[in-house]
Amino acid sequence: MRTTRRIALAGFGAALLLPLGVGSAFAADGDVNANLTPVALNGAAASGTAMVKVEGTTLTVTMAANGLLADAPHAAHIHFGAEARNECPAASDDADGDGMLTTTEGGPAYGGIVVSLTKTGDTSPASGLAVDRFDTAPGGEIAYQRGSITVEPDVAQAIVDGKSAVVIHGVDHNEDGVYSGDAMSDLDPTLPAEATDPAVCGVLMAAPSGGVAAGTGSTAGTGTSTGVMLLGGGLLAAGAGAGALAARRVRATV
Amino acid sequence: MSDHRRHDGRSRILAAAAVVLAVAGALALVLGLRGGPAEMPTSPPLAASTEGPSDAAGSPPAAAADGSGDRADPVGPGGAARDAAPTAAETAPLPELGPILPASEPVSLTIPAIGVASDTLERLDVGPDGVLPAPTDFALPGWHTRGPNPGQLGPAVIAGHVDGPDGPAVFIRLGELQPGDEVQVGRADGTVATFVIDEVGRYAKADFPTSLVYGNTTDRAEIRLITCGGAFDRSTGHYVDNIVAFGHLVG
Repeated sequence: MRTTRRIALAGFGAALLLPLGVGSAFAADGDVNANLTPVALNGAAASGTAMVKVEGTTLTVTMAANGLLADAPHAAHIHFGAEARNECPAASDDADGDGMLTTTEGGPAYGGIVVSLTKTGDTSPASGLAVDRFDTAPGGEIAYQRGSITVEPDVAQAIVDGKSAVVIHGVDHNEDGVYSGDAMSDLDPTLPAEATDPAVCGVLMAAPSGGVAAGTGSTAGTGTSTGVMLLGGGLLAAGAGAGALAARRVRATV
Repeated sequence: MSDHRRHDGRSRILAAAAVVLAVAGALALVLGLRGGPAEMPTSPPLAASTEGPSDAAGSPPAAAADGSGDRADPVGPGGAARDAAPTAAETAPLPELGPILPASEPVSLTIPAIGVASDTLERLDVGPDGVLPAPTDFALPGWHTRGPNPGQLGPAVIAGHVDGPDGPAVFIRLGELQPGDEVQVGRADGTVATFVIDEVGRYAKADFPTSLVYGNTTDRAEIRLITCGGAFDRSTGHYVDNIVAFGHLVG
């Protein structure tokens, strides 16, 4: 009798577990995207989007932006800091109050560099200012894609969790068409501040989970259903019914 | 005694039947769920991505392990500089991303083939639960504010109800869309982003292809129109499927 009940329960178990096993994903895999918008105070009339596919510890980054200072190298990075706010900087991050945000002033918001979005060669933070390997935005536009970027597991996880930000640097505060000005970069004193100040920023956010609840069923009678789904539901119901009956009978004999 | 035995025998038969039916049912369900993606969107050709830099995995790493920056300590946490050896080809090809528009929020939606003409779109902000909410107005489509604006690189998402308390809603006919049908999205900057439908698929919500719908699968400006479909589950008050129309920007 015990055996009987166990079999009956196994029937329920199989019915419940199989569908649940479908569609589970690995924790470190995911798609995130960012809407790149002008960094506060820095006045870039630029925008763009960035998408990152995370597969384990490997990233594929695809990015497009427009409205940037044309024909000038634009350093671009993924930023993340465990202590950072994991967002794009606000005007209140202008620590020295000069009316412009430097990369360093943005640090409390987006953290340090974790990936350098170079076109060639090294992609580590060490290449953060490798200006000769970043996109020069012909016509003010960047079209970028690079795969096989390897990061540490904690960085991959932070990106999947929506805690990192893409920042494209390089602005033209004085609108003279080139990187210039007396102010020098907080990152490299040989470069004008314009070359490294952040232009656009966007938090890489996780995709919504699941679908959309977009109906009330008022027209459900006219909808179509795949036969196999109905068959599956019917069989499940029949199985559950038979199982319940079996269980009841077992109980009845006790 | 004999009566008991007979009951036991019947119980066993019933129990076995339960197992068989349950397994068959579950399998049919799984097949049903799985069947969708298999027969539906052949994800648009990934030609663009194969010519991208990810292709370079097989090429020998350029010998720059000594790296441009010799800084011993990486700037970021986690020592991300560990793999200084570049993995991309030395001359990265420019990716073909197709036409792309600047950021500008959508303000209208027109889909002539299925009689949709809405001069308002709701903002759909993903909640703390990570779920994309449906529009509150059954007559209006809504746009996924966390995704790209329609026309920008990536999959812009517009969702609408299939029906409401009073019957058909704005996306009642979404499933009728055919490849080649046009979708026009008016934008705040006065431009109109025109998309052409590539595929229409139906997916079980329980097995929703998140990456296919919200991820970058095609390296171009795309649109996804989402509504509900399939069977209606009266016990949960929800449809079991989502219908998704996929399109790409043509101008």
